[in-house]
Amino acid sequence: MRIAVIGANALGVLIALGLIIKSWPILTSKPLTQLLFSSEWFPLKGKFGFYPFIIGTIEVTAIAMAIAIPICLFSAIYLSEYAPKHVRAIIRPVIDILAGIPSVIFGLWGVIVVVPFVRWLGERLGVHTTGYSLLSGGIILSIMVFPIIISVSMEVMRTVPIEARETCLSLGTTKWETVKWVVLRNAMRGIIAAIVLGFARAFGETIAVLMVVGNVAKVPNSIFEPAYPLASLIANNYGEMMSIPMYDSALMLAALILFMVVAGFNVGAHYTLWRLRRRGLG
Amino acid sequence: MAAEKEGLRLILRRFEEKIAKVLMLASIVLVLASLAGIIAVIAIRGVSALSISLLIQIPKGGFYLGKEGGIANAIVGSLYLSLGALFLSILFGLPIAFGLQREFTKRRLGHITRLTLDVLWGMPSIVYGAFGFIIMLYLGLRASLLGGIITLTLLMLPIMIRALEEVVRMVPVELKEVSYSLGATKLETTLRVVFKQVFPGIITASMLAFGRGIGDAASILFTAGYTDNIPRSLLEPAASLPLAVFFQIGTPIPEVQQRAYASALVLLFIVLLASIASEILKRRASRYTLR
Amino acid sequence: MAKSENNRIRIFTGLVLALVFASLLPGCGKKEQDTIQVSGAWALYPMMVRWGEEFQKLHPGVRVDISAGGAGKGVSDALGGLVEIGMVSREIRPEEIEKGGFFIPVVKDAVFPAMNAQNPVFAESISKTGLKKQTFLDLWIEGKPLTWGEVAGTSSTDIVNVYTRSDSCGAAETWAKYLGKAQEDLKGTGVYGDPGIAEAVKKDPLGIGYNNLNYAYDPKSGLPLPGIQVIPIDINENGTVDPEENLDTKEKAIKAVISGVYPSPPARDLYLLTKGEFKGVTKEFVKWILTDGQKYVDEVGYIQLKESAIKDDIAKIGG
Repeated sequence: MRIAVIGANALGVLIALGLIIKSWPILTSKPLTQLLFSSEWFPLKGKFGFYPFIIGTIEVTAIAMAIAIPICLFSAIYLSEYAPKHVRAIIRPVIDILAGIPSVIFGLWGVIVVVPFVRWLGERLGVHTTGYSLLSGGIILSIMVFPIIISVSMEVMRTVPIEARETCLSLGTTKWETVKWVVLRNAMRGIIAAIVLGFARAFGETIAVLMVVGNVAKVPNSIFEPAYPLASLIANNYGEMMSIPMYDSALMLAALILFMVVAGFNVGAHYTLWRLRRRGLG
Repeated sequence: MAAEKEGLRLILRRFEEKIAKVLMLASIVLVLASLAGIIAVIAIRGVSALSISLLIQIPKGGFYLGKEGGIANAIVGSLYLSLGALFLSILFGLPIAFGLQREFTKRRLGHITRLTLDVLWGMPSIVYGAFGFIIMLYLGLRASLLGGIITLTLLMLPIMIRALEEVVRMVPVELKEVSYSLGATKLETTLRVVFKQVFPGIITASMLAFGRGIGDAASILFTAGYTDNIPRSLLEPAASLPLAVFFQIGTPIPEVQQRAYASALVLLFIVLLASIASEILKRRASRYTLR
Repeated sequence: MAKSENNRIRIFTGLVLALVFASLLPGCGKKEQDTIQVSGAWALYPMMVRWGEEFQKLHPGVRVDISAGGAGKGVSDALGGLVEIGMVSREIRPEEIEKGGFFIPVVKDAVFPAMNAQNPVFAESISKTGLKKQTFLDLWIEGKPLTWGEVAGTSSTDIVNVYTRSDSCGAAETWAKYLGKAQEDLKGTGVYGDPGIAEAVKKDPLGIGYNNLNYAYDPKSGLPLPGIQVIPIDINENGTVDPEENLDTKEKAIKAVISGVYPSPPARDLYLLTKGEFKGVTKEFVKWILTDGQKYVDEVGYIQLKESAIKDDIAKIGG
């Protein structure tokens, strides 16, 4: 049993090691600043500038978060503080079901509904767009992170002791003010952890985004322009990894970047939540 | 004067609450509506594409262009992949979950392991795909059923262990102590007594992991391959429902697109079934667990 | 007491693992003998599917698994030993030959520019005058935001939506070669796969893209795929579409390629690639493709190679 447990940890280490070993060739042959900040992506000529992909990933995730955070916060507040018990009992599992929907289905729905919508929106605003854009990617991603942000936020809000709420109400505040000043203040750390978890989830999402984001290796100038996140880069080009020199190394580097960013955010968020849970029970 | 100010402030504060309530309801409606919208669109498009023959035949004339045939290759391939990975992840996951619970609950190794597992749980599936590909290259494997199963197992393990751990945790210490006091060894206790208690939990955890595994595309994109045929051995490539959607949707040939929609509907149906079943089982099981 | 328990667990685990591995072994030997895995260019995919089907009819124990992912993937998989045959729709590069690439041409086809059928500019102007190479250079290499009016000489002020391939493929490479560059120099929204770019142009009234012969035209009707129109190229730049430049139907397109009026590139040979040499049942399959398999080429809609080329091929693989 002990071996098994150590094995579980070993898995995480192995993945990191494997990715590092595979990215080593490109890391040692090109200066890191060029890899991270150059916009020239011409693998056949040996140019691997990851900048557009990194920016693309960050931007599409940021848009997703901008859409998701207000919606999730308000939903979580409603479910945790205002909703009657039976309503909560029905909606919670429904949100869990949303969490289980495969990403390719989101992508399909995105192609059928979101892309034409964004194209129409662009036309209304006088912007020329094919619909395959940052905005489409952001919309789809935001729906995908609803469940995780809502459920973790709810859990965190519940840890705020009832006494604090009751004290506040007894002073004559409205329920909303109680929420604003007491619950949110106290749960803020946990809510930020929830948001970080959502961010990490969105950062690495591959298939759904790939189907709607346009896949053009250029830093986008507006949300109506296409982008090319890191995960889509890997998925689109795994095919010729082996035939162009350094390409496999470059793609593994992209995977390594994803791994480190997502792991980093996850560690931070989970650690915070763990501390909060301990405090909550104590 | 002061009283009027107080009155005004009160009205503002109540007004603020009303706005907040509206926003809250709007948000929750938006969340529920998006779920409903997704299921509705897939269902509508998929239903018109479904037929019995579509479900039992493999594509004829190539899955990208062929106008005849169906999606049996993807359905069977997905089932092989997910069930194979499920078996392996239960095999490796159970000892880890038990080990975590019994030996290291409070100790440092336990905490670190849990953190690692949480991080692995949040890892994007494309990273698993890349790692799986590295392993395959190392073992000299081709894109095949086996490659896909190995990668999916890696993906499903953290989910499995997490879910199993929750179940194992609920087994009360008293039960084990009673068993020991009757003279059973640690192993006998584990296998005979604890196991019976956690069995429904294992089923629930399995459904959760299965649902996640069958729907994942990025991890099997490079590791399981894709083919018109149903694999005859572990070393042949396997089609899968998520990739069936992905590959067959971006085509101008309506018959091929119909196969994509049908695959999406079948996949959605299986995943929803697994989700709902595990929810129901969770509730039933918790009624009978000793407290 | 505890020790013997632990031993029992260990033996049990060992047995299970052994069982798992044992179930893999039967798969190994079997595969070597009767599976041919093929991957690569979209351009060759329809032909290979037909060849595979017919060959499997003649040899029921053999299984041919075909997937498409672009010429780049075909080369990558073949050289990596992941497939027996790689389908390649562009020239094989020297570095690829150095890695052990062995290839033979098997058929010929071409890449054609395409636009949306509902775009009025087609009927008004393009069907009669065609487009010149310079326009393609402007759109795909320079990335100029031209309008359909500027491109076709009409009054339209709608901007042209340029599409290209996101997967590493022969079609893009060939199209780029025609324009004097490489695939990575092509501008436009990247779409995956030949069917993908056809679909994108079909859905976008202002779109322009390029497709292989068998994706630009419907295999059954021989007309351009519903929703798409093939853009005739004004090769002699005389301002009109001469009869031999006409690409209304697949037949005419094929004729244009055979006569040489349609330039190569964007017309080109399609190759089968492997590492080292074709062996065993794969060799049988390739030999069959070069002999009996040739009778399906016209039916599926490709251009046969000259007889001398076929003879060379047969000699090359060691008849």
